[in-house]
Amino acid sequence: MEPILKLEDLRVEFRSGALRHNPKVALRGLNLEVYRGEIFGFIGPNGAGKTTTINVLLGFVAPTAGNAYLFGVNVREPIARQRIGYLPELTYYYKFLTVEELLRFYARIFGIPRRETDRRIDQLLRLVELEQVRNRPIKTYSKGMQQRVGLAQALINDPELLILDEPTSGLDPIGRMKVREIIQRLKNEGKTVFFSSHELGEVETVCDRVGILHEGELRTVGRVSDLKAQFQTDLERIFLKIIGYQLNT
Amino acid sequence: MNKILAIAGVVIKELYRRKDFYVLFVLTALITLVMGSATFFNDPKIVRYLVEVCLLLIWVSAIAIAIGTAARQIPAECESRTIFPLLAKPVTRAHVILGKFLGCWFACGIALVAFYAFAAIVRGSREAYWPMLHYFQASWLHWMGLAVMIAMVILGSLIFSAPSANATICEIIIVGILLLGGHLDTVALRQPPPLDLITYTIYFFIPHLEWFDVRDILVHDQPLIKWWAVLGATAYAAAYTATFLFLAWLIFRRKPLNA
Amino acid sequence: MRSPRVHYLILLLLVVINFTLATVLDIAAQAWTRRGGTDLLAILLGDARRIFSAHFFIKADVYFHAGYYPSIFDLTARPKDSSHMAGDNHAHDEEKCGKAMQFLGRPTDWIERFGRNFAVTEHKHLNSGKEREILPWLRISASLDPHRIETYTVAAFWLRRTLGKPEQAEAFLREGLRANPDSYELLHELGCVYYENYKDAARARNIWRLALEKLELQRGKKDEDELAKYYHDILLRLARLEEDQGNYALAADYLEEIIERNAAPNPDLLRTQITELREKASTRH
Ligand SMILES: Nc1ncnc2c1ncn2[C@@H]1O[C@H](COP(=O)(O)OP(=O)(O)OP(=O)(O)O)[C@@H](O)[C@H]1O
Ligand SMILES: [Mg+2]
Repeated sequence: MEPILKLEDLRVEFRSGALRHNPKVALRGLNLEVYRGEIFGFIGPNGAGKTTTINVLLGFVAPTAGNAYLFGVNVREPIARQRIGYLPELTYYYKFLTVEELLRFYARIFGIPRRETDRRIDQLLRLVELEQVRNRPIKTYSKGMQQRVGLAQALINDPELLILDEPTSGLDPIGRMKVREIIQRLKNEGKTVFFSSHELGEVETVCDRVGILHEGELRTVGRVSDLKAQFQTDLERIFLKIIGYQLNT
Repeated sequence: MNKILAIAGVVIKELYRRKDFYVLFVLTALITLVMGSATFFNDPKIVRYLVEVCLLLIWVSAIAIAIGTAARQIPAECESRTIFPLLAKPVTRAHVILGKFLGCWFACGIALVAFYAFAAIVRGSREAYWPMLHYFQASWLHWMGLAVMIAMVILGSLIFSAPSANATICEIIIVGILLLGGHLDTVALRQPPPLDLITYTIYFFIPHLEWFDVRDILVHDQPLIKWWAVLGATAYAAAYTATFLFLAWLIFRRKPLNA
Repeated sequence: MRSPRVHYLILLLLVVINFTLATVLDIAAQAWTRRGGTDLLAILLGDARRIFSAHFFIKADVYFHAGYYPSIFDLTARPKDSSHMAGDNHAHDEEKCGKAMQFLGRPTDWIERFGRNFAVTEHKHLNSGKEREILPWLRISASLDPHRIETYTVAAFWLRRTLGKPEQAEAFLREGLRANPDSYELLHELGCVYYENYKDAARARNIWRLALEKLELQRGKKDEDELAKYYHDILLRLARLEEDQGNYALAADYLEEIIERNAAPNPDLLRTQITELREKASTRH
């Protein structure tokens, strides 16, 4: 089966400073494949390189070496992004627009016909529960509401692949549960979800497979159930073990 | 094209939701009207000074609007990180630049229509004189000049890191060209050897924005500008705009977005 | 970007309101203070106002030429004095002025050639009442620097000549006289208002005589040629006035004084006129 998301020896270095020596290596030769219909959890400590990987997939950062493909198209081509939805780690949307106008704007970029746009906006606003505030400018929203705006905009083009960077950060327990439900529902519709997270419990309940990233290297990839069987413990301990953190018990 | 227009639409929405434009328009109108109620030697037919004051304010306001909006666009996108969800859509950086440019330019065009309509009404109410083709030529050329300025400012916003520094530098350059651009050849003649060549080179390379400022024709009730010249100036503006936008794209294409 | 620029515009608005109020209340204000509503501008601008005044006077000249005017880079082509703006022999002046102002040489490159399409490139003077357009700038210039005499004379010339507002001309000249009580130029122009517009020969005669006295005071202080020109003009006016009134002998005396003062550009012409006048005078007796 053709992978939907594919990384080949992906290497990213950040050169800062005028002398350009001593580059900071964010990713060291990543290889990864994600298949249709999967929910893939991408976990790792702060600074492991999760956001960097996602930035490469979206074309914000050019890889120093290696390649990345979406639907078999190199990510350098903008067309590769036609069928994906993306939720950034931290974002503010155009504050002077209302959520409805924002969604309409993104729909226009995807070339979605008007009537279809109306239908999807109604449906998405119901999904993320922003119907009451649809005519208020985004600057009047709380952080959690803004996060839900992000989720709605990621779904506007009915994407086949969703790339979510810490989708539940900043949400209250109910909000997290809602996000998990949404991810579950997308899976049932046959979509593919690739998301990074620190919430191991959440990853454990929703993901089919996980990858554990540490210092720019992918340490482990596998089904959650397989890993559990292999290490004979829960995901949290596996994670700590892999990144070399000694539990003093 | 649809993508570019969508991006432009957001710029226009932003402009008319901010108060800048209204404030500038109201101030221009107030100053003109107050000035218009001044009486000189009890002669109500005197009008040219008023047209001049009004057009000067229009130029100042339009430049302020154009530079203010254009300088802010791309830096604000990066600052508030709205550029990320945008570029995650099937949008290239060229689309972003063109969209931002068109948005600023259309927004300025709308503002110009309001401004010139106001000027025409002020003049018409005084002397029942409606030189519509003159207004058209003046506002059209003004708009074309603004295109060059906006493209220049967008390019500047990718070179200079602080939008305020960029706005100030562009303002100085634009006002400098408007005041001196046409006389640089005369200045060059008076310079000692290496400087004269430099001045002359600058003279040939800068966009001659002063052509687009035909307020004198309007104020002094001169005959219409030849249409082929208007057409030529339009092509000239288009060439410079395209050059600046292309340079902007070259820079933007390689610019790392600090995620 | 918003705040600073908007603040400037608000400041400008306030200045404009002040100025406008000053012009509107001008007539009333003259009753209160001697200098009318101009104090505010004087205080605001300090000594810089003289420079601004000169600028606005030139602005009036630009308007008079309907925008055709040399830039600061062609200073040599600028009109040397304001006489072309208010002269009796109009057509001649326009031609002369047009010759002097040929600052647009052959364009040296395509930029200049093409740029000419967007600028005013033809020399002409305002006419048939359009001269009124220069008045606001003269008014402002006078407010800024009340000691610039030409401002008053040029404005008064058009007000009485083509615009049919001799009262306004008189009021403006009197305003100028309050600031410059010794100005023979202003008295000369004021006399014209009385004689040509009000047909008041008696007062015109007094004013012109007063002008001659003031002129006398300036002897040795000012340029001889300049004084001679005014001697010529004022004496000639008086001579014509007396001739119209039938006082031919007096008229001849004035003409003779012109010759005595070496102020006549063409003394022979005057001499023939003097003999004619003397003859008329003798036949009447
Ligand atoms: N623009 C940049 N310039 C230099 N170094 C960078 C840049 N962006 C990221 N890095 C470095 O690359 C490494 C990976 O960063 P990244 O943001 O991908 O981590 P992360 O896994 O998303 O962490 P978190 O869980 O905190 O979001 C970090 O060490 C970071 O310092
Ligand atoms: Mg991250």
